[in-house]
Amino acid sequence: MSQNGQEIYHDRVVTRLIQFSLVWVVVAMAVGVFLAAEFIWPGLDFGQFWLSFGRIRPLHTNGIIFGFGVSALMATGFYSVQRTSHIPLFMPKLAWFCCYAWQLVVLLGGLSLLAGWTSSKEYAEFEWPFDIAIAIIWVCFGIVFFGTIANRRIRPIYVSNWFYGGLIIVIAMLHIVNNLAIPVTIGKSYSLYAGAQDAVVQWWYGHNAVGFLLTGGFLGMMYYFLPKQSGQPIWSYRLSVVSFWAFTYSYIWAGPHHLHYNSIPEWVQSLAMVMSLILLAPSWASMINGIMTVSKAWEKLRTDPALKFIVMSLAFYGLATFEGPMMAIRSVNVVSHFTDWTIGHVHSGALGWNAMITYGTFYYLVPKLVGCELYSKKMANMHFWLALAGTMLYILSMWAAGVSQGLLWLSVDEFGQLSFSFREIMAAMSSYYGLRLIAGLIFFVGTLLMGWNLFMTMRGQKTIEVIPGPVAEKYRINSKPESADDHIGTGVPA
Amino acid sequence: MTVFIFAGDMLVMLFMIGLVMWVTTKDGKEVGQDNARIPLEDD
Repeated sequence: MSQNGQEIYHDRVVTRLIQFSLVWVVVAMAVGVFLAAEFIWPGLDFGQFWLSFGRIRPLHTNGIIFGFGVSALMATGFYSVQRTSHIPLFMPKLAWFCCYAWQLVVLLGGLSLLAGWTSSKEYAEFEWPFDIAIAIIWVCFGIVFFGTIANRRIRPIYVSNWFYGGLIIVIAMLHIVNNLAIPVTIGKSYSLYAGAQDAVVQWWYGHNAVGFLLTGGFLGMMYYFLPKQSGQPIWSYRLSVVSFWAFTYSYIWAGPHHLHYNSIPEWVQSLAMVMSLILLAPSWASMINGIMTVSKAWEKLRTDPALKFIVMSLAFYGLATFEGPMMAIRSVNVVSHFTDWTIGHVHSGALGWNAMITYGTFYYLVPKLVGCELYSKKMANMHFWLALAGTMLYILSMWAAGVSQGLLWLSVDEFGQLSFSFREIMAAMSSYYGLRLIAGLIFFVGTLLMGWNLFMTMRGQKTIEVIPGPVAEKYRINSKPESADDHIGTGVPA
Repeated sequence: MTVFIFAGDMLVMLFMIGLVMWVTTKDGKEVGQDNARIPLEDD
């Protein structure tokens, strides 16, 4: 409620989450640049365990995924679910709890990683006390989000909410199942699963965390903010709904492609490979839908830095979601697995898709939240080119390094012995690692520019109060849609 | 066990194909067009 008793959207929590997200992206990306430098100068850890690659690598990944990514998803999810439901957030105090408790858990969890507490599961390294805290906060996130939808004043549930909803439900399931463990001390636990079972559960989690958080969650962001920014409705709403269901169904099977040629049943590997290839269809359906949405507003691309970021992110999304299924083919995977090709693939998604779509969204959202113009459009345009150059250089250097590594490792002499030792191959990678460091620095400088630009935009400003707009007759809960039944256009009864 | 899991997979696949077909065909084009405009009419 506002001071005069009027109902307003709870946007202050959105602003605060964006601020936290910006802090995390700067910190976690700086750690990433430091890691890239350690590949060239291994002595950079100064003999300190807490600066060693094994400890700060999970700090980088957790900081980016959970600090930057989840804070951005919570912010945009809270913002868009209010607008698309025409109602303020359900239990706003719980939303504030999610906002601060999440930052505290990621911060303390990150420090615990430096101290050597780790479950040793990739992207799930936090130990059991943090896992429990994450589960509680995530459930609260779900209560706020689904409570808002349950109270909505508009009949249809817009497609972005389906993606955000999928994110909340599936990540809760993955997180809880993968982190089931027996604690032995405050900082150590042992997984409930053993051997190959543990590996399958871990990659069921790992791949679907990529799927439903880094892909599905950010598609939710795209489906709301791309129409807003371009001023055009989604090109095909039906395609967006079909792609949501096909995406949700296909993704959940694909995890074992991370375990090709490992000690898991061959049919599981084959199934994962086939489902990964099928996944290309719904992934590209969303990309095509996004690109076609902008096709009626190309002229805005010349002047609008936020839209540039979002459209470029779709191009990288298309690239990464083509490359992923290709890498899941076992005969390709035999070259790509355990090489820097995988690192290049991950960063085409992380930098090109996740970071760019979030940056574009922030450039749109922050001025809107505080009710003023962006501090410097010129700086935002400069950031766009730095981000694009950094991403391209990063991907190309890691592709070249990865393909070289894969082929050199497969090279054998006439006696079947390895032609090159691991050490020889790694020594040949130094120039690629140098390029990767430069790429990371370029991207990081761009991110700093954005941080400064948005800080100056927000400085001294308060989040403006927005009153929910009237609901058009055609969307009203009690009005009949034009089709014969009472069903909404999203595939479920209202 | 493998046959059992395969049969289960096929049933789920059948359900998902049915679901996608139902979603695709159940609403008129106008409903989809209206829903697509939600973000443009929420300010």
